[in-house]
Amino acid sequence: MTATLAPARPAAAAGRATFAALAARETRRFARNPVFLFAVAIIVAAFWVGPRAGGTKDTGFNSVTTMIAIFLGGFGMIATFGLTRSMRASEPVVGVTPVTLPARTAALCAVAIVPFACGCLTLLAFVHFHPVGGPAYGAFSPPARMAVLVGQIVVPALGGPLLGVALGRWVRFPGAAFVLCLLLWAWVSVVTILSESHPDSAPAVVLRLFAPFAFFTHTRNAGGVTAWHGPPWFFLGWQLALCAIAVLVALLRGAEGPVRARIIRALAIAGAAALILLVLAGAGGFTHAVTT
Amino acid sequence: MVRAVLRAGAWQAVVGVSGVAVVAGGCAAAFPAAATMLFPICFALLAAAAAFTLDEPASLVVDVTPTTPARRTGIRAVALLAPLAGGALVMLAAAVRGLALPWGPTGLALVGNVLLGFAAACVVRTRTGEPGAAVGTAVVLVLMAPSLVPQVARWVRTFPAPGADGPSSDHVWWIVLTVCVVAIAISIGGRGLPRWMSIIP
Repeated sequence: MTATLAPARPAAAAGRATFAALAARETRRFARNPVFLFAVAIIVAAFWVGPRAGGTKDTGFNSVTTMIAIFLGGFGMIATFGLTRSMRASEPVVGVTPVTLPARTAALCAVAIVPFACGCLTLLAFVHFHPVGGPAYGAFSPPARMAVLVGQIVVPALGGPLLGVALGRWVRFPGAAFVLCLLLWAWVSVVTILSESHPDSAPAVVLRLFAPFAFFTHTRNAGGVTAWHGPPWFFLGWQLALCAIAVLVALLRGAEGPVRARIIRALAIAGAAALILLVLAGAGGFTHAVTT
Repeated sequence: MVRAVLRAGAWQAVVGVSGVAVVAGGCAAAFPAAATMLFPICFALLAAAAAFTLDEPASLVVDVTPTTPARRTGIRAVALLAPLAGGALVMLAAAVRGLALPWGPTGLALVGNVLLGFAAACVVRTRTGEPGAAVGTAVVLVLMAPSLVPQVARWVRTFPAPGADGPSSDHVWWIVLTVCVVAIAISIGGRGLPRWMSIIP
């Protein structure tokens, strides 16, 4: 047994070193991507203006979190999609190197740490301008308010780029990223409108939560904040399960033999977990919309 | 020759993205409360569809044929009928549903969006054979900026909102239309070989 494992250790160490080098290289490419830099610049500029970044008394904080999610998540998705596709032309050369396609995909997925870190910093800046104890968060408890913010700011910043890698690995159409970004935006807009008109309807709740981004509050023009049905913690779990699914789907491309079988098994587990968390998110929380 | 140029077009991309735009516009007509968000998304997608009309995978061969860029671009411009028809269909659906949109400015915004995508593609086509993806992404980012960043919306509006305060979208689109016509004229008039092909190593 010792004789079998001993040679494996240097191989594993070499694999880790290769992965670290690849991940560092891809991260540098991502950090210099003009689309991502543009997104970061817009967010910094918006916060430079300060509390006038869009969250007024009329619109609550949803407009600000939407902007952050679209710039870090949506634009991050467009950036990683371009990064993933940019290697297609050199595939005949890169394909003969000893590094497998799943390993290269994993290195690409590792770049999501950059927008994730940006999301964490943005969350801190956001909490500075919109304190968690404020009335804009409605009837949610302080931990649930933090879950709402993490789900609207940090997780989209992580999930968008991961989705971009998966899309880049599987979809040939070069405009797929911006089309999907706009479609998700349209979907969230429609289901939010449905929730505003039918706040206590169970199908409307499920539709609202069946998205990678969801609102939990609605600031009424007449005054008052309505907290919608659905516990933010379970929604956060659903979002993280979607991130895991995006990574696994990306890794599935080019995977062979036992690795492929393991990925498919993990995909089934992540899919089941996502489904359970969506059901829990749809069934839990307030029994009806609460206006404060 | 016309048929050959048209057959080589990226029809799947143009019609596909236009179709997605029609779906988004259809949702806007079905849910009027979301129309202010969905119509700009629909029109931005139509602009992106227009950006794919000049994609030419065989540009290395096509660009050295004796056909002038103006003629090739003119023939390919026929594909703009797809996003324009899609936009017209969405406006018709909105009218049938009784949405109170300012139809003149909305039509101008539709033409402006489509022409912006096409003009940007014309300019970038002088440098690359397939400008669609890059131009489509850039156009979408620019067109959606007012919806995303409230500070931008205070100065520029790309879609006419009924009864809204603030700047009119008409001024923006008349300027954009003028600039686009000039850009198209310059790019197809002076387009020869792509710049990288004319460099002798």
